[in-house]
Amino acid sequence: MEQIDLLQGTLDMLILKAVSLGPLHGYGVLLRIQQISGEQLEIQQGSLYPALYRLEHRGWITSEWGESDNNRKAKFYSLTASGRRQLHAETEKWNRMASLIASILRTTPEQV
Amino acid sequence: MNLPARFRSWLKWIVNGQRLESEMETEVRFHLESYAADLVRQGLSQQEAVRQARIEFGGIESHKDAMRASVGVRWWGELGLDLSHGLRLLRKNRGFTAVAVLTLALGVGANTAIFSIVNAVLLRSLPYHDPDRLVRIYFNEPGVGLRDVPFSKPELDDLQTRAGVFEDVTPIFEGSENLTGAKQPERVEGVNGSFSYFSMLGVTPQIGRLFGPQDFAPGFAPEAVISDGLWRRAYGADPNVLGRTLRIDNDPLTVIGVLPRGFRHPGPTTSGDAEVFGAGGFSGDPFPPPMRGTRILVSGIGRLKPGLTLAQAQARLTAMAAQLRHDFPTDYPHQAQWAIEIQPLQGTLVGKVRPMLLVLLGAVILIVFIVSLNIANLLLARASGRQQEMAVRLALGASRSRMVRQMLTESMLLSLIGGAAGIATAVATLGFILRFVPSNVPRLNEVRIDWVVLAFALLISILTGLLFGLAPALHSAKVALSSAIREGGRGSGYSTKTGRLRDVLIVSELAFAVILMVGAGLLLRTLRDLLQENPGFNPTQVVTANTWLGNPNDPKTDPYLGIPGKAAFDRELQRRMKAIPGVELAAITSSIPTTNSNSNAVGGLRIERLAIEDRPVESSQDLRAERIRISPDYFKVLQTTLLRGRSFTEGDEDGKPPVAIIDESTANKYWPTGDPLGRQVRFGNDPTKPWTTVVGVIKDIKNDGLDIDGVPHIYVSVYQDPSKQVSVVLRTSLPATLLEPQIRHEIQSVDPGLPVFNVSSMNDILDRSLASRRFSADLVGGFAGLAVLLASIGIYGLLAYMVGQRSREIGLRMALGARRDDILRIFLRKGVALAGVGIVAGVVVSASTASMMASLLYGVRPHDPAVFLIVPLLLLAVAAVASYLPARRATKVDPMFALREA
Repeated sequence: MEQIDLLQGTLDMLILKAVSLGPLHGYGVLLRIQQISGEQLEIQQGSLYPALYRLEHRGWITSEWGESDNNRKAKFYSLTASGRRQLHAETEKWNRMASLIASILRTTPEQV
Repeated sequence: MNLPARFRSWLKWIVNGQRLESEMETEVRFHLESYAADLVRQGLSQQEAVRQARIEFGGIESHKDAMRASVGVRWWGELGLDLSHGLRLLRKNRGFTAVAVLTLALGVGANTAIFSIVNAVLLRSLPYHDPDRLVRIYFNEPGVGLRDVPFSKPELDDLQTRAGVFEDVTPIFEGSENLTGAKQPERVEGVNGSFSYFSMLGVTPQIGRLFGPQDFAPGFAPEAVISDGLWRRAYGADPNVLGRTLRIDNDPLTVIGVLPRGFRHPGPTTSGDAEVFGAGGFSGDPFPPPMRGTRILVSGIGRLKPGLTLAQAQARLTAMAAQLRHDFPTDYPHQAQWAIEIQPLQGTLVGKVRPMLLVLLGAVILIVFIVSLNIANLLLARASGRQQEMAVRLALGASRSRMVRQMLTESMLLSLIGGAAGIATAVATLGFILRFVPSNVPRLNEVRIDWVVLAFALLISILTGLLFGLAPALHSAKVALSSAIREGGRGSGYSTKTGRLRDVLIVSELAFAVILMVGAGLLLRTLRDLLQENPGFNPTQVVTANTWLGNPNDPKTDPYLGIPGKAAFDRELQRRMKAIPGVELAAITSSIPTTNSNSNAVGGLRIERLAIEDRPVESSQDLRAERIRISPDYFKVLQTTLLRGRSFTEGDEDGKPPVAIIDESTANKYWPTGDPLGRQVRFGNDPTKPWTTVVGVIKDIKNDGLDIDGVPHIYVSVYQDPSKQVSVVLRTSLPATLLEPQIRHEIQSVDPGLPVFNVSSMNDILDRSLASRRFSADLVGGFAGLAVLLASIGIYGLLAYMVGQRSREIGLRMALGARRDDILRIFLRKGVALAGVGIVAGVVVSASTASMMASLLYGVRPHDPAVFLIVPLLLLAVAAVASYLPARRATKVDPMFALREA
């Protein structure tokens, strides 16, 4: 199956979702997204970090230095309260949008 | 959005930038290594895995850059780069940096110093409680052209109780007093007000207490409050000073309190600050009974009730004045149109020096403009040289905005270094500068470099940085890629575009220089005219000295009471003065020319109401004159010309018919057609006083200041009309310093309790009276000179640069047969044309703004043709010389050399 390019602006939402399931380091975020998408999403690895910094700058996620599974120093990101609200709002918006687009695409000539 | 969180994260970066950078690095490396390890686990070789991880990650540096940008700190890092680049450039061009920083330091330093004075004198509120409610109260008679006339105790009471606009009012008496009973006899400045004077200003004492209602006395209270300065000087800051007795003009007063260190009386005093404060009820002895028409009070201040605007208060006072005029028609003659006026106290204190300070501030701002235009020019020349650098960077992908920012950062760096140097200069030299500021500028003691001044200096620095940084920055943004690289390769820089920008800079620089020079020219011409002004007497070889006989509240303690006693003192004093070896003539006056600045002072010169025989007081003509008491030899000592009639004699004394001598102004004003000799006048409006007969007419003496004419003066004999203010004038070839001990000795031999002060030559006095004009003329003149220098450097620099850039073209022209004269003409024409445009622009602006300076001029019109002719010609000549030097260098270009080099 071919990989899908990430839609513009959805990376932030995916990151929020990924860290909402538990604190992760940057590489972990990448793995988690790939895992839950069934390896179908193509993310340019480097672009993950500016997004993480942006989200932290906005106060939606927070970071802490800790130890990784292989006992190395790594920076772990976790969701903040305002990040949780943001994720909720984004999900809501996304669902509305998706159902709207889906209904538009389902439209048949008779319905017009 | 979560603004505080953003700010926190941004701040974290600014503060911990270094650590966060390394954390960023760690994080990226962790990612790469983890991924590589996973790839190895999938079967790749270690080397291949690392390579693969890097490829999939993408450009590490560009991602890092994006990370920095995400938290808004990318520009911060770039700023650091630009700053260090800028510093390197400044270090490399030491000559340029030195010139720029020095001129900037001068410009910003001058601005800081002048603004610190403007801030303290004009802008800062008066140092009293709620100062905006304090007003000065004037009584005017606009119908007869009189302002600030005296008022009576009942009128004061009306203000307090009937007007309903004042929380408090107090009359003010200012004047010199003789202080005895402390360490040594002294002459001090005193102020007498009402018992609420201090509570109205909101002062609390350092020790003891201040006046209050419990001290009330109908005349003067037998108590005094003293200043911190007097307490330290005369009592050695003794805390037991309370209850001690000091004698003011022979009256014993008990010290009840000491004022705090910074307190100052809000009004002009004859010299220095007020040090002894008394209080009185102004209705009992020594004051006459309080009658509405007995106007003995000369000056008043009040505090408005809270919530009342000046306009509202003024409206109510105007209504009250109308009511009073209606109720007491005999006390307020209809034609006088008696009125009450209030003005903010601050304005009345500083109003006089306001135009001077504003002109000085304008001059220093112009200077800083010229300085920054000059630097802009230098920077632009450098920017042209850097065109190639810019073009290459553009070609490599730098954004234009990024390059503008870099150029601006460099300029800002320069302007802030210059600004810091300027502020440091101002801080270091302020005390020195203040010594040259004329002492008639009030509140000078409050001048200091505070936050407001520093903010202003910073603002000026930033503005100049923007001003001189913008031109090269915009220029760099407009670099056309291909042509710049090509042109750059050829080593030419004077493209049309930069050329025009530099022309504009030079033209505006010259225009500003013209404005400054015109201002300086007008002020200097005024000063020169005043120095050459005939004061109406011969001031050389005249020495003056002053004493004050005291005005005791208790007449029994006055040794000079009555006319005969005073005349005896005057005669004895003159006899002793004449006996001093080297003194040819001696006389007495109540007022030395140009020294009587405070008309509200006790004994100060005041325009008095006058009655003239055969002329009804009710006539709407403004009848008034200043009365000066003199001894017979006064005009002889001053060598003033007697035009008609006779001078006073020793026989014009008590018991003989009162006589007067008038000056030309008085004669022209009151007897324009007839003969004043033998006519009679009377001071005040008491019809029972005897008439005084005019016996002589003298040429005008500029008694009120060299720059004041036309005030009518009437001289009377001091033997008939005694004065407590006694000034001796001596004609002698000896200097004042040599005579001072003898004068002091002789005066104190008559009365050891008399202070002797301000012994100086008449020429010094005249000179001092022009101090403030001299100060502003010298300062603006100095700035104008600096402006001319900077402008000529600007022209010189521009042309020298052009000659350098166009040497190949010059060589070519000469090879083709152009004569040296032709070459000379090209560059001369360029320089003079630029100067011409700038001068015309400057003249136009000056002509339309010069009238703002009118109040600082005397005898010179704001559009003085001489100034407006000389300034352009002078500047044109300077511009021609500045252009000639580089133009001549152009003619020395060796055609062969120039062509071969190309």
